[in-house]
Amino acid sequence: MNEMSKDLGTKLAEIKGAEVIKSFCYTCPWQCPTEVFVRDGRIVYQKGNPESPNNIGARCAKGMASWYVSQDPDRLTHPLLRTNPKGERGEFKQISWDEAFQFIADKLKHIADEWGPEAVALTCHHDPNTVFYHHLLKDLYGSPNMYAHTSGCEQDRRSACLTLFGHVFPMHDFANSKYVMLWGMNNLGANQGLWESRDLIEAQSKGCRLVVVDPSFTETAQKADEWVPIRPGTDGAMALAMCRVIIDDKLYDEEFVTKYCEGFNGFRDHLHEKGYTPAWAEEICGIEAETIARLAREFATSKPAMSAIFKGSGYYTNGHDAGRACYILDAICGEVDKPGNINLKDWAPLGSPVEIPEDAMSTLKKDPLHVAMGYPLAPDLPNSKLPDAVIKGDPYPVKGLFVHSTNPVMSDPNKDRVLEMFRHLELAVSCELYMSETSLECDIVLPETSFHEQAEIRQGMWLGPEVILCQPVVDRVGESKPPYEIVKGIAEKMGWGEHFPYEKWEDWGEVAMKDVPMSLDELKQQGFWAGPIEYNRVPKGLPTPSGKIEIYSTDYEKAGFNPYPDFVERSVIPDDEYPLQVTHSKLSMHCNIVTQNNPLLMEVCGENWVEINSADAAKYGIVDDSYVVVESPKDNITILAKVVEGLVPGCVSIRHGHGFGHWAMGSTAKGKGAHSNNLMDTHTNPVTGANCYNECKVRIRPAG
Amino acid sequence: MQHGFYFDHKRCVKCHACEIACKTWNEVDVGPRWREVVKIETGTFPNVKAMNVSMACMHCGDAPCKSACPVTAITKRADDGIVVVDQNKCIGCGFCAWACPFNAPQLSAAAGKMEKCNFCQTPGKERPIDMPRACEEICPTGAIQSGSMAKLANQGREKAAQRLSGADMRGFPSLMVGAHQEFGPGGDD
Repeated sequence: MNEMSKDLGTKLAEIKGAEVIKSFCYTCPWQCPTEVFVRDGRIVYQKGNPESPNNIGARCAKGMASWYVSQDPDRLTHPLLRTNPKGERGEFKQISWDEAFQFIADKLKHIADEWGPEAVALTCHHDPNTVFYHHLLKDLYGSPNMYAHTSGCEQDRRSACLTLFGHVFPMHDFANSKYVMLWGMNNLGANQGLWESRDLIEAQSKGCRLVVVDPSFTETAQKADEWVPIRPGTDGAMALAMCRVIIDDKLYDEEFVTKYCEGFNGFRDHLHEKGYTPAWAEEICGIEAETIARLAREFATSKPAMSAIFKGSGYYTNGHDAGRACYILDAICGEVDKPGNINLKDWAPLGSPVEIPEDAMSTLKKDPLHVAMGYPLAPDLPNSKLPDAVIKGDPYPVKGLFVHSTNPVMSDPNKDRVLEMFRHLELAVSCELYMSETSLECDIVLPETSFHEQAEIRQGMWLGPEVILCQPVVDRVGESKPPYEIVKGIAEKMGWGEHFPYEKWEDWGEVAMKDVPMSLDELKQQGFWAGPIEYNRVPKGLPTPSGKIEIYSTDYEKAGFNPYPDFVERSVIPDDEYPLQVTHSKLSMHCNIVTQNNPLLMEVCGENWVEINSADAAKYGIVDDSYVVVESPKDNITILAKVVEGLVPGCVSIRHGHGFGHWAMGSTAKGKGAHSNNLMDTHTNPVTGANCYNECKVRIRPAG
Repeated sequence: MQHGFYFDHKRCVKCHACEIACKTWNEVDVGPRWREVVKIETGTFPNVKAMNVSMACMHCGDAPCKSACPVTAITKRADDGIVVVDQNKCIGCGFCAWACPFNAPQLSAAAGKMEKCNFCQTPGKERPIDMPRACEEICPTGAIQSGSMAKLANQGREKAAQRLSGADMRGFPSLMVGAHQEFGPGGDD
């Protein structure tokens, strides 16, 4: 902690005539701890909490601008009930909360009677307050189908981490690294863990070498010592070829693989049998064999080193094995969970805020959807299969859906199919800040408070264990309610009100904090609790079936998949008619589908675009900064084009493809940019159930 | 003593947090952009390079905007060299914007007046000169620093800083960009 920077907040607050409240920002999932400056009931400034190791005073553009959400005139203010039939553009009337709770409770009872409680599912963004819905819909009501949004996010990475290390979300100890290899990971340009950004930049200033493997010259590639412009969807081939070089040259960590890895010898034989060599990979990846071999040797002989992925190696039907192969590079070099490696972080001892007694718990009668759908290894719901359950009853009927802080109509591929799904639901509940595109398809829309108006206590996204607190800093907008009160209201109508006894958030906050070595009062003063950073957990045993790093995956074998990673081509390959592969990348000043109604952020970036290499642009008559039509076999969009050098020829990169082109949400957001998700047909990763956003081929022509 | 900014393009990731921090602290409406991050890309595939620069008023030693102003609304403060605009005097003619080589003066359509980076000296919200500016305080990677040009130069991080500080500041912008040899022609400072 820096005394001067701690003091800075107090001094700045004096200048602004504001009170400072410790909180965290929930504009993006990195949730940086903050100091919020409040004057006359309005947020007038925000800065990072300088005492928190999570971001040391810094903020990002999205976080700085997030005060606008608490004052946005487009926010929902009252519960709304649909008045016209599904299939038409939603029309709604204002109802009371009591009517809303009764409507939902009646429908829930009807669905349980007719189809069983498993016919109700919940999908959300990762929000700790979603746990209240879990208590209601899982523990009491009896549905096993409580899901989040991961299949539209880092599902392939999550699956790879769980399979290999038994960890759901490793962090990156960039600060201590000497060699960082990032595969399709644009952490400096997409949503940012600010401490990770700073650590990476600091590490580089101390001589860490950064290699970025990505078809696109992203903000992160721009900072790299070496950009490896790989063909889309071929990361797995390059990583496997690198493994082969490291093993053949005996550059691997023999002691580490012997003691702590499952299946090293088998993996070596597997690479030989399949002929995974740099020469083989060169043909596939478009990267010279010598480069692949050199990078392999550099990686294996630089210590500490890190090979890491996020979303980019996924989004293809081969993304699961690409992810595993990229992490096996870490494993065979003994570069796991030591300083400078990926870090298998500890979680804070944060408890559940609601305790449902055993005898009140409902027994779950059916397998959760992902298992019944044939994706037992999926870390989250295969979203693209949900329409089958709703429309066709496959694998079993789903009739009710709660959508909490997520917008699947815009965020899932194949919009047509998602819209059709909503039209088949008996009960679709949207818990939202705005009349989103998904809200528009629902039966009932419940106005939630934003993170500035409600409390949340959750795990911090930092190397060490951390608890972070978000507290209400301003008054609620209209009649909006936080999740706890919404759940309590429905529970009371279901006859379960006794399990939600708390009058104020501090009451459940105390319960959640009971195992954390800090009182809730102290947490309110400090904004976070942080434990020590730990390393070297591998020798102590990992939560995998063998207790080791599973290069040979027991889980894969059990589920009938190849236990070793293979390379198979992605599903959609460009052809003469549709000659360009679609790829995606995000933008740092926008997060998903929620920031496009913020005028401050729209001033910085008010529409999205498609990038195309200059050689392809010349071929198809595309001029920089002009509008183009991007057409797939399924649909077409008109979008701004930027002609660039930093992109592999033969593909286009749609920046922030599903975040723009709102047709329902917000007076600022509506009609800006282009929504690209309906270009894609439904493609599901066969193991992880991830949405395959990049399994799409297009052609491009000037508009008009 | 002349004050200004030091900007390290190697650290800037073009996240635009500085722009929004500037706007929020100084309560600037949507429209005028006192600070803006721009990206310059050079080269041809696959040998591409890019550089980000966060640009605001340079608080020039011999400020062309000040000379161009017909109503003496623009002054350079004696003690710290910060170039400020008196909104009461400004007639919104835009001569300053034409004169400025850096596009720093921004015309506010709402107020019909010119505004620009004032080194966080907006009346009622003045940050003491020894504090970090809003853009500097918020930057996740520490790409922006403010202070006296002598202090910034003394950090010895760049030859460019030394060179600029050795001059008498007349005509020099009070911004040091940590340029690096590998970045194309003209970047070798």
